[in-house]
Amino acid sequence: MNTGPSLNTGPSLNSGLSLRTGLSLRTGLPWTVLRLHRAALIVWGAFLLAALGTLVWQVEVTADSVREGMSACARTGGLCRRQAVIHYGGGISWASTLVYYSFFAVAAFAGGALVGRELENGTAELAWTQSVSPTSWLAAKLAVPALLLVAGGTVFVLVFRWAWAADRDLMGDDWTFNDVFAARGPALVAYGLCGLGVGALAGVVLRRSLPAVGVACAGMYVVNHNLEEHRGDLWPTAANGLHPESHYWPMHLVETGVVLGVAVVATGAAFFVLRRRTG
Amino acid sequence: MNRDGEGTALEAVGLGKRYRRRRGPVLQDCSFHLPAGRICALVGPNGTGKSTLLALAAGLIRPTEGTLKVLGTTPARARERFAYVAQAKPLPPQLTVAATLRLGAELNRARWDREAAERIAYGPVYANPYADPYGEESGSAYGDMHGEAAADPVPGVGPGVGPNLVPGVVREGGLHPRDRIRSLSGGQRTRVALALAFGKRPELMLLDEPMADLDPLARRELLGALLGEAAEHGTTIVMSSHVVAELEGVCDHLFLMGGGRIRLGGDPEQLLAAHTLLTGPARDLSGHTVVESHGTGRQLTALIRTDGPNSPPTDGWETAAPSLEELLLAHLRNPEAPDLFTEETGGTGTADMTDVTDVTDVTGEENARP
Repeated sequence: MNTGPSLNTGPSLNSGLSLRTGLSLRTGLPWTVLRLHRAALIVWGAFLLAALGTLVWQVEVTADSVREGMSACARTGGLCRRQAVIHYGGGISWASTLVYYSFFAVAAFAGGALVGRELENGTAELAWTQSVSPTSWLAAKLAVPALLLVAGGTVFVLVFRWAWAADRDLMGDDWTFNDVFAARGPALVAYGLCGLGVGALAGVVLRRSLPAVGVACAGMYVVNHNLEEHRGDLWPTAANGLHPESHYWPMHLVETGVVLGVAVVATGAAFFVLRRRTG
Repeated sequence: MNRDGEGTALEAVGLGKRYRRRRGPVLQDCSFHLPAGRICALVGPNGTGKSTLLALAAGLIRPTEGTLKVLGTTPARARERFAYVAQAKPLPPQLTVAATLRLGAELNRARWDREAAERIAYGPVYANPYADPYGEESGSAYGDMHGEAAADPVPGVGPGVGPNLVPGVVREGGLHPRDRIRSLSGGQRTRVALALAFGKRPELMLLDEPMADLDPLARRELLGALLGEAAEHGTTIVMSSHVVAELEGVCDHLFLMGGGRIRLGGDPEQLLAAHTLLTGPARDLSGHTVVESHGTGRQLTALIRTDGPNSPPTDGWETAAPSLEELLLAHLRNPEAPDLFTEETGGTGTADMTDVTDVTDVTGEENARP
């Protein structure tokens, strides 16, 4: 659906992984990146599976029992219905909210463990004095997580679109909710890639783990907060001054473009700073 | 592969490095030349730029001025042909020793020598089950270690038995593949860092304080391994140290750093031959290049260069050959002593003095210490 975003995050990203190592994740730099960050990979995988599992469980299992409960409380009306909706919709919106805002975790990981910590404790220099240039090192460090983010994010978006549309009558949200707006399309993936780029830039510039985590998260907050505030301005409103649901895709794609733009600029700046500093 | 007398390992011209957050340059107008195939000691007090020089050579930082060529090209282009071990011996703490060596293999796919790396990390018995490539061929300390290993075999570790098959049995100093880096001592981390350097089979090894954390036994073993590598493959080795005695007798080239540049460079024996220690009644030493002199009352002791027109003096002085440590300390205490580079041009060539035009003819009185 959207492998495009990953390829847009800077030309050097491609050369590092796909051209030189033929996309093999089991050897060379990709192996190194996966091995060094195995713990993070496991945590991320477990998180994603839990989120996907929640969505499937809510739709396939919880929905039926909620419907049964609702028919049982048909006479008591309002309060009973609302509890059922919270019970059902709560699980789904928790999943989408956590996955949507996981770009903060991605930014913290990229600024901290992925780049900042390695520059801080010298293990980056260890890699650069093997047969790996700083540029290829950073390219692999970004390309491997970027591929995983695109793949995992795409799967989540597809499953979420299915889960969100399955039982609209049991859910109290609509398409304008922040998490729903982002999680129904490529913006979710774009935010992850943006967190990666902003984190990498913070790590390369600050060269220390903790400050880089703070700055990367603050940067992502600024980007995300402003976009959430101004989502309504991303596309002209209809004659009545409101956005009909048909405006979802234009608004969503404009936001995706802005976020990917930030990702590309941050990634490019990270490469520029690294190249200028090293030989 | 570089052989003695062929090629240049390092060549600096007007090299300077200034850090943004530090007053004054760390390196300034530093020029030198290191022929390939040497075992070079880079000595000098703390903070004189040894680590900076090695990091520049490793292409980790850029010089603010001047150029530094490594193996005839830029550090970035030579990346695959040299190994570098940083002073802090940084290694990913979450990896095991075996995974760290795998990392070396994956990042040096074109030239990784697994056996060489494992021999350093796990000790000679473990990683060398079939053959004895260094064997009796060299009289180096490495060979000695082999002798010891053969004479005192680890129980149960016979030929063909790899380290993984003998859980719990660890040779003295050697590491176990499943040891975590974060659990290792400083000296053990040095061993792993050196194993990565050996596995790369480099033409040039840049080692920043490689011996600092090692116990005497490990120091002997690993120095021997370095000498064996140099003897067998013509590898150039540059080792920094602030302990002069550590590298005495090991190196055949010496760089003394001070004042942001190399102040003494060349074969240690030739450097020693270019100096004389004088003892005698206090008197005028003008006409000689005096590195250091200090006297008590009428007695004067001075270290002079034997390059002056009337050197070495014979008139009533007791002369003695200085030790390397005396020579280096005298230069460190006297920053105004002129730089000296000896250049071997085959045979027993005489010291080729450079940069003596601005010789400060320090007289005995001027430099005398009360």
